[in-house]
Amino acid sequence: MSTIVALVLAVAAGLPPAPAPVPAPAGADAILAEIRKPGAGAVLVNVWATWCSPCREEFPDLLHVARELAPNGLRLVLVSVDFPEAEAETLSFLTSQGVDFPTFVRTGKDEAFVDGLEPQWSGAIPATFLYDANGKLVRFWEGKASYPVIKKRAQKALATEETR
Amino acid sequence: MTRTHLLAIPVLFCLAVSASLAGGALPIGATIPMQDVTMKNVDGEELNLKSIVKPAGTLVVFTCNHCPFAKQWESRIVELGNTYEAKGIGVIAINANDPKEYEEDSFSVMQQRAKEKGMEFPYVVDATSNVARAFGATKTPEAFLFDKNMKLVYHGAIDDNGKDPSKIENAYLKLALEAVLSGEPVPVPETKSIGCTIKFRS
Repeated sequence: MSTIVALVLAVAAGLPPAPAPVPAPAGADAILAEIRKPGAGAVLVNVWATWCSPCREEFPDLLHVARELAPNGLRLVLVSVDFPEAEAETLSFLTSQGVDFPTFVRTGKDEAFVDGLEPQWSGAIPATFLYDANGKLVRFWEGKASYPVIKKRAQKALATEETR
Repeated sequence: MTRTHLLAIPVLFCLAVSASLAGGALPIGATIPMQDVTMKNVDGEELNLKSIVKPAGTLVVFTCNHCPFAKQWESRIVELGNTYEAKGIGVIAINANDPKEYEEDSFSVMQQRAKEKGMEFPYVVDATSNVARAFGATKTPEAFLFDKNMKLVYHGAIDDNGKDPSKIENAYLKLALEAVLSGEPVPVPETKSIGCTIKFRS
């Protein structure tokens, strides 16, 4: 919630929101390593792009869920598949959404990235993946989802761990 | 896409955009589905897949106008389509996207794009998105190549480098087309690329 508060305060003060960190280039291995970093109760991974309307539409809902469930251990990993020349647009979008944490931009070839991240994924975006605390994929979907759907699924992924 | 594929009844297999999952794509060896469904071509004529089928083989590419990934490969799709249609392969490009989602996917822009790019094969509207559903297509661009027996022998990417054609290491679709023409097995039958989800009509 602190991000929202900061954003609201910044807007109220007529200040631009703090710029988002530049997305770090990452292949599938680096993303998987991020997913498996210890400490999370569940990890929500979203693959998106600035030019992708459904991605942009669901972005606020993903952030909303991530912020709400962060105290429960949910970690959000955002992976842009924007082209390198779109870095300014990517940063501008992330900033406008109040993203103040590190995110990623994928590198390497499509197939290695898609299959490396998850063989079940066809490569269509937006794509969202939910992992439990052990880095095991518990759910994934292609296409956008709404706030209540994302939240319910994330809560279930968090509960997967709690019931172990 | 190498896992078990279930070709569900198309109507039941309505992949809601919010819940579509990979796994429903037409399996290698499957026959061309929905051959009798009429679709409007950019020249205004109505045609169906049956009329596209040629004795040597048939290429069906799901694509669209707006998607940056489809655009990356657009010239290559047209070049491959034109080249291999001249060599005896039936070729068709299908836009299954709901233009309500992206105005750029409208019929008039399809007409314009086909003209600009010099498409010598049909570029049609899947007006219900049911053809895409029957193929289990999930994104654009996505290619399905059928052999002389109308059996699926290749499904997936155009090649392995959307960004830079000079750096292609595996021209997957071209290799598959050559294999089909020579009656050889396709070297890599299933591949993937990143693409835009098909904006299915509800």
